[in-house]
Amino acid sequence: MSSASQLKKLLQNGIHRIGQLELQTNVHGFQYVICHFLDGENTVQPDFGGLIVHRGPADARDLSTYSEDGTYRFTKGQTNLKQGWVMTLANENDLLLALDQFYPACVGLFLAQQGGILEIESLREKLNRQTGMYRFARSISDAGAQALIQQVCGPAHQCAKKILWQIDETTPLDDSEASRFNGIPSSLSEMEAIPLLCREACNHFVAECRKAAKAEFDAKAPQA
Amino acid sequence: MREAFYLIDADDVYVVPDFISEGYFTQDVIPRELQLTGPTTVVRGKSFHYCLPVGVHRSMTDLILKRAREVAPGIPPSETTLIITGHGTGLNQNSTKAIRDQVDLITASDAGYAAVLDAYMEEQPFIAEWDQLSQTPNVVVVPFFISDGLHSFQDIPVMLGIESEVGAAASQREVFRHNPHHLRGKMLYYSSAIGTERLLADVILDQVADFDNLHLSL
Repeated sequence: MSSASQLKKLLQNGIHRIGQLELQTNVHGFQYVICHFLDGENTVQPDFGGLIVHRGPADARDLSTYSEDGTYRFTKGQTNLKQGWVMTLANENDLLLALDQFYPACVGLFLAQQGGILEIESLREKLNRQTGMYRFARSISDAGAQALIQQVCGPAHQCAKKILWQIDETTPLDDSEASRFNGIPSSLSEMEAIPLLCREACNHFVAECRKAAKAEFDAKAPQA
Repeated sequence: MREAFYLIDADDVYVVPDFISEGYFTQDVIPRELQLTGPTTVVRGKSFHYCLPVGVHRSMTDLILKRAREVAPGIPPSETTLIITGHGTGLNQNSTKAIRDQVDLITASDAGYAAVLDAYMEEQPFIAEWDQLSQTPNVVVVPFFISDGLHSFQDIPVMLGIESEVGAAASQREVFRHNPHHLRGKMLYYSSAIGTERLLADVILDQVADFDNLHLSL
């Protein structure tokens, strides 16, 4: 079954949220409608309650590039999606196209996890294959990496993704809000929401590892 | 980039780098991240076909000529020097080659420019000497970059003499909206980066077709 068909089934079975997106069916004659979850109650009003209407998935990339105040959203998992808009979609293929702009591969990653075929890479696997200017990131200590996760990841730092990876094969993450986060940035259960999944450390985290590794190195340098 | 695998239901995937030339990213980083080991790699049941980057395809010529005509409408090519400009450093011989290839292709075409030249930010011939490189009253400059950025918004305008110093403009795209520039005794037409041309979509498809022609015919 295609990913779009499986997505359709998930919605039929009660799923209505992914990240900060509310997913609705059969609104004003449209098979699917998506919006920021805080605008969810406006969509059923006449004229979509004044929300700016976007027909089809084409505008999804632009809607997800900048936050409300014009800040560039450097990772799509950031919990600063803008409000004030609604998108109508004719079928589940268009819905999937739109979701893949807001949260790239979000449905595919979830389906792979459900099917037991999602490949997860540890932090060390990610760092050890970096080349060029990011090669130095691999020298970060385990303690430094654990501390960095708590400084950079999780809902307290605007990331809506559930961390699936460990430091390495045998070293799990220290317990923290970031390590415990389930990928659903609201109080909804997994019966109602598709969690956003983090299968490997993102480029932002790798860049932060590089800075932290340099700081560790500088701290150890012999004093003049 | 490894998440891309989970975006795809299809069994055959063509990967086309949206890069202006070959180099570190197309030869090292992308193959590493997508786990590609040759022209075609099977990754967990899907066949990934790795194509050349858009910038090295001969059909970039059409994009450059279209952009040159649009930025200088009605100006006779026979009275115009077309300059294709790039970064040019010892680290990036591939992009210099891509530009020189385009100069050769356009010179051999029937576009009719009085002269077609390459010029660079950091190696000779220097784009800062554009007026000395041109014998015609009109000069069109097309930046051979995959996108607009600091080079096309700030650095090159200073080198051309359009701006007096590097600094953030109120709207960076304004620098492309005041053609022609009456500078150094000539009429200068300055285009935004060639990678912003919508027809780049066709070049992506051309690279896919070239891959099939090359590999399926063997």
